[in-house]
Amino acid sequence: MIIFSKLDAATYPFISLASQLVKELEESLGISAILSPESEVLRRSIERIREAVYSRITSTYKKDLDVEILSHPVALLLMKHMSNARLINVYAEAEKNRVLVNLLKEDHEKLVGLAVDGFNWHVKREKNYLLIRFDDYLRTSVNILDSRWKLVNRKLVNGYVELSRKDFSRLLAEAYRTRILERANQAMDVQVLSALKAIIEELDREFQGFLPKINTSVTYIDEYEPSALPPCILKLLEDAEQGKNLPHMARFTLATFLISIGKGPEELLDVFRKMPDFDESKTLYHLRHIAGEIGSRTRYTPPSCATLRTFNLCVADDDICQRVKHPLTYYNKKLKLLKREGLERRT
Amino acid sequence: MKEELNNEGFIKKMFKKYYAEWRGEPPKDFKRREFAFMVSRRGDMVRHKAFEDWGEVKEFLYKNSPLHVYYSSAYYAQPSAPDMDAKEWMGADLVFDIDIDHIYTQCKEQHDKWTCLDCSVTGNGVPPEACPRCSSKKIEVKTWFCEKCLEIAKEEAIKLVEDFLVQDFGFSSHEISIVFSGRRGFHIHVESDVIRGLDQRARREIVDYVRGTGLVVQDRKRKILAAPLNAGGWPGRIAKGVYELLNSRSARILSDLKGGSKVEEAIKVIIKELEEARDYWPLEGVARKIWLKAVEEVIAHKRCEVDERVTTDIKRLIRLPETLHGGTGLRAAKVSLRDLETFDPYVHAVAFVKGEVKVKILSMPKITFLNQTWGPYSYEVVEVPMGLAVYLICSENAIVISEEVRGA
Repeated sequence: MIIFSKLDAATYPFISLASQLVKELEESLGISAILSPESEVLRRSIERIREAVYSRITSTYKKDLDVEILSHPVALLLMKHMSNARLINVYAEAEKNRVLVNLLKEDHEKLVGLAVDGFNWHVKREKNYLLIRFDDYLRTSVNILDSRWKLVNRKLVNGYVELSRKDFSRLLAEAYRTRILERANQAMDVQVLSALKAIIEELDREFQGFLPKINTSVTYIDEYEPSALPPCILKLLEDAEQGKNLPHMARFTLATFLISIGKGPEELLDVFRKMPDFDESKTLYHLRHIAGEIGSRTRYTPPSCATLRTFNLCVADDDICQRVKHPLTYYNKKLKLLKREGLERRT
Repeated sequence: MKEELNNEGFIKKMFKKYYAEWRGEPPKDFKRREFAFMVSRRGDMVRHKAFEDWGEVKEFLYKNSPLHVYYSSAYYAQPSAPDMDAKEWMGADLVFDIDIDHIYTQCKEQHDKWTCLDCSVTGNGVPPEACPRCSSKKIEVKTWFCEKCLEIAKEEAIKLVEDFLVQDFGFSSHEISIVFSGRRGFHIHVESDVIRGLDQRARREIVDYVRGTGLVVQDRKRKILAAPLNAGGWPGRIAKGVYELLNSRSARILSDLKGGSKVEEAIKVIIKELEEARDYWPLEGVARKIWLKAVEEVIAHKRCEVDERVTTDIKRLIRLPETLHGGTGLRAAKVSLRDLETFDPYVHAVAFVKGEVKVKILSMPKITFLNQTWGPYSYEVVEVPMGLAVYLICSENAIVISEEVRGA
């Protein structure tokens, strides 16, 4: 059993001691004092968000641990009132980076203690490795893109996944990142006074230039650029062109993807025309259904990379594939890349 | 009188008999499950049923003698809510489906037939998605489950339970049940708190693990590291598999490789390294090439063919163990791992073992039923054991001509 210190609570906001201290400090200091414009906590909270935005990693402020412990929930509160949806992602990522740096310095025993206390993981130590029960592993590992983190590429024995200290730390940091995103909406909900409102608005404007808004609806790109198509879709198009009999999932992927990037159902008829079982009216009906023009009126989104892999429709991994979870994200990235290259060539 | 002699009426009567003395066990937390029934061939599925008392289930089965009985692998707060969202998902068992329909077997060419209902073209083996002549999708399939199919299904089930669920995932045998699907395969249910709450993404990882999907053999720099023989999980499984393969001199892969003595030499080195290695070791040159070839074959051999859609669906309806399959009249019999090897559905899953009855058999290959060989038949009136009669009528390969039962 590990006894955590106040410094631990400041460094690792996910442990129970941290939430306990937050509660105690809130009670003894009072919310209004914590959120007053002159408050040291408020200053540190803003600084923490700025660190995340400008250096993509936060720091651990050790001069006043009470302030540091409170600054995390207050930072979440501030961000909840800001308009940029990307901010919380950037903050969570920066916090993950900070925590990871610290975790890498901890010994096995401490890592186990943090994982058990913070996330209720079932963990065992064996020689130089750490063993984590596979369900705890999966809940977090599915958020990491690298194929090295797929369960199939891990040593799994008797229900436990074997991890090096480094990988264990990475998984723990990732679990923390996920928790920030999950809890972002449950952040302290208090009346924000007008003085604070002004501060928040100013910060909001400050970050606008640094964090361009992401296109949250990847579904509607409405720009057809063949050279930006991901390899899986290209392969399907090729197969369709050759008149191969594509399985249902392949057809669904092709249709939803092309509709998502602005093709209309009628235009798509030609794509499926060479299928051995092509029936114009039936195909059009399905396409219009997928496009949300008829039926349930929901526009279907193409399957994710994970689903495509499971159905053996994933064909390659070029550089972009390594970085995305969804074929539409690939398309978006490639499109931007092409535009940038085009721009460079012209200038 | 004539109405009495229709096939469905006959089946319903027999099913009622079966359910009169039914002793099926409830699945874990059955009150939290949705139940669903197919009462008649043409009718809709009766869904969103929930039961507070297991006796009610028995009563329902007896009263309605349904052709198919399903329950949800999921647990719900409101299992009888008609809307899926209102049911409030609380978790689900982990379910695997091993179905010969989805596994290629050579024998299908001999016993499976398909017919296009629009242009009557016929063919053997796996049916095409659409008719090659008229592109119609209305294809009727007649499938059979022969001894070879059974062997393959068993092999996959044993692999799944022993190698993956017990050895790797650490489930204990009392958490796992193996159930004959009633037709051409097995359902494997895992009832465990460890997996109850896992979402679709996590379950996809489990399916990918079992199927060996996404296995990375060489890293991004194309470097290959071999695991020691005693390593766990896939790395060890691959090392052991390659070791066995290279030791069995019949390995087909060896003949594919050119290079004669050089290859022989490299194989010896790999075998020796595998025997001695206590840690990961790198593969280079010819050995690397041999390794890659061998690994491909090992994965194909050691992976388990389960239907990924069933396992990743967290709101799936699945056949209730010990109920009858309306397409075969066979019991979805629970089979212990110990008995799986000798399990014969045409003996152990036959619900009606007494009596003989005359039926008109439309078509049937030679099959062994209740340890006796029957057929092949084509448009013949034959007196067969009741179990076989029910089987043939349920699968629409025979019609009732008389209800006179001998020796019941």
